[in-house]
Amino acid sequence: MRILHQIRPILAALRSHKTAVMLLVLEIALTMAVLGNLVFIVYDTINRSHVSTGIAESQIGWLQNIGVVGQDNPVTGAENLAVLRAVPGVADAAYVSPPLVYAQRNPLFIDPSRKQPVAQVYEFQGSQGLVDTFGLHVIQGREPTLDELPVAATVTSDAVFPVLVTQALAAHLFPDGHALGKLIYDGGGNPMRIVGIVDHLRGEITGRVDDDYAVVTQLLLGAQNVGGGFTIRVHEATQLPQVLQAAAIALQKANPGHVQNAALTMAEARESYFRNALAAGRMLVAIMLILLVVTALGVSGLASFWVQQRRRQIGMRRALGATRRDILHYFQMENLLIVSGGVLLGTLFAYALNLFLMHRFELAHLPAHYLVVGALALWALGQLAVLGPALRAANVPPVVATRSV
Amino acid sequence: MFAYYLDLALRSLKRNRVLTALMVLAIAVGIGASMTTLTVMHILSGDPMPGKSARLYFPQLDPAPADWKTPLHPRPMMDYRSAMDLWSAHRADRQALVVQSPVKVLAPGTGRPPLMLMMMSTTTDFFPMFDVPFAYGGAWTPADEAGRAHVAVISSDLNDRLFGGGNSVGRTLHLRDADVRIVGVLKPWRPTPLFYDPVGGITGSMTPTGFYGRPEDVFMPFLAGLDVNDGNFFQYTCWGSGPAKPGHLQDAPCLWLALWVELDSPAKAAAYRSFLDGYVRQQKALGRFAHIDTDMPDLMQQLDRAHAIPANVRLQTWLALSFLAICLFNMVGLLLAKFLQRSGEIGVRRALGASRPAVFAQCLAEAGLIGLIGGVGGWLLTLAGLWLVRRQQLPYSDLVHMDMPMFASTFVLAVAASLIAGLLPALRASRVAPALQLKTL
Repeated sequence: MRILHQIRPILAALRSHKTAVMLLVLEIALTMAVLGNLVFIVYDTINRSHVSTGIAESQIGWLQNIGVVGQDNPVTGAENLAVLRAVPGVADAAYVSPPLVYAQRNPLFIDPSRKQPVAQVYEFQGSQGLVDTFGLHVIQGREPTLDELPVAATVTSDAVFPVLVTQALAAHLFPDGHALGKLIYDGGGNPMRIVGIVDHLRGEITGRVDDDYAVVTQLLLGAQNVGGGFTIRVHEATQLPQVLQAAAIALQKANPGHVQNAALTMAEARESYFRNALAAGRMLVAIMLILLVVTALGVSGLASFWVQQRRRQIGMRRALGATRRDILHYFQMENLLIVSGGVLLGTLFAYALNLFLMHRFELAHLPAHYLVVGALALWALGQLAVLGPALRAANVPPVVATRSV
Repeated sequence: MFAYYLDLALRSLKRNRVLTALMVLAIAVGIGASMTTLTVMHILSGDPMPGKSARLYFPQLDPAPADWKTPLHPRPMMDYRSAMDLWSAHRADRQALVVQSPVKVLAPGTGRPPLMLMMMSTTTDFFPMFDVPFAYGGAWTPADEAGRAHVAVISSDLNDRLFGGGNSVGRTLHLRDADVRIVGVLKPWRPTPLFYDPVGGITGSMTPTGFYGRPEDVFMPFLAGLDVNDGNFFQYTCWGSGPAKPGHLQDAPCLWLALWVELDSPAKAAAYRSFLDGYVRQQKALGRFAHIDTDMPDLMQQLDRAHAIPANVRLQTWLALSFLAICLFNMVGLLLAKFLQRSGEIGVRRALGASRPAVFAQCLAEAGLIGLIGGVGGWLLTLAGLWLVRRQQLPYSDLVHMDMPMFASTFVLAVAASLIAGLLPALRASRVAPALQLKTL
């Protein structure tokens, strides 16, 4: 209770240092605004780097094997898939590129005139076996059978492709829940009929809702030779790197005329997809930590100055009966009040900065608990910074009061 | 007088080393963080064609049908017919069509495995228009262009890889199924940003590098390039039923080409604008176009519109500048403490005849000196920061370095920031009432 009684005199004393107090409050407010938003951005990136794409990532690898229709490629598309499936350890293979590696985003329409796109979706178009290779979970409807798949060599532009869509996309397109059997259209390709719904398939992980909007089309590959991305799924996740290398060699052997560009496990793809964002985040956090230390030292420096300036007054209070503890608490309380002012203003600043960032960079809304944690951190930092000067103040002997008066 | 102030400042800085170190640290951290991101920004937002960019224009129009609704107007790319019409009119001082496509490249006789590279199909004005430097040979002739000759210009990088950097003019490359004669080899050329692709490599390339990748390795005459690599062209967008034959876009309702023009005077630019408008209105009258929107940004405007600078770099710049702001507030507080601590001394100087402006100037000199020392620390921290950026695998990592203007800016920013931070404390110090201070001495 004695501490609370001190608040009024503290406020009165602060009034004679308006400039310095305002500076401290502003500095703390700014620190809180930047700290809150920065931690939010970095934490969000870290969270995103753990979001699943919906495919069996630990078992999946990708080979980029580019060839073009020509005489130097004696192997057909179907044979290429057979070559890959014959590699020991491979569970399934398909001609398709996985999420995060090569995701094409196209407008989607639900009226055949294609006037008003209703969503931007990731289109995964590949060969037979795509669904099994990705390890997708069909939760409604079914996967099209081999007989139903359009034959890539002979397909006409009016053929209706049987496709799978993600749950999120189905709910977005048809909120009434009756997506199965409906026709959808992309920008230029064939009309598509929804025959099944998979739980998740994210083309990219940006944090947007429509990351999980995907359409999966399978075409039946036969005699024609296509180059591009081949995706394989292995039986044992631990053997993925070795099996992927073996698959690359087998594919190269079958297609000497093809250009082999890359062999990538999904773990590597994910690492490279997030590498820069995470590296930048780490750097920003490191700078922020240094900045917090600098701020703490600054608060401490200013507190030292105040203590030094008020040595005589402290001595007087001590002579008039204040205990060391009273003096200590006085400075701690003073700091707490100033930091609290900064935190209040900082909450406003943080939201303002967040609004600005949302507007300019499509960031999400800053959740309130980041501010609570930020406030606690700044209170703790302030108390830590003021402890030294406050202890020094508490050690001022009462006899100072009698000197030079 | 200034030397005297500096001497006073040095003495004062030495007196309270901890406080001085704190201020120097604050400035150094703020400068280091902001200069690291500003240097990256400076490199990414540079003018790829200094002295010429204001004369290079990017004409745009909108060939899409009325019911094709996507938000971009006019379109960043053109269909084949519009692009060919505008190019063959030859109304500009120079004009170049550009389109990239991935192509399989084999150098017979080198024993190297085939490579998948990006090819630029363009018209011969491309090279003089964009000041592309040649090491050997030169560009193909307009006759080669009209005759769809199988000739190519290759990058210095590819020349090093395939031919050990020698003069390979006259040698043959196997591009997909065609034999192509090399007529020119470029010197190392790395325009940054890679401005001439209006959409930053999102079409055609398997791994888009945005606006900071390398130029293509193979350049072919426009029409010959379309022949040789037929079927491997990627559209930016299509409407209606799309291309009948994938990768063959000449007769498809697709946008996939870009046109650049060089116009050497504002009058010519105005004339070209009205030519472009006239063309679009004529096409609308013919019923081929539904929209008459046109636009013709110059090079830098186009880069700005295309958002060439990655969003995360801009975000980091904002954050770094806010770091600097925090450091400045810190510094204001510390300077205030430092100056007011010396109220007694200032009182004596005032009593001995120093004017308020003199005290003010003295305090500012001290703040500036701190800024200068902090600038050195900030410079070192910036070098460390840039080293970290280079270690990241970004398309532009190899470009990141500190040039002279940025080196100078580091110190200018450091001193300017400290002077600004010193204003308020110096003002307060100069207002110290001498009599009061002398009494308490």
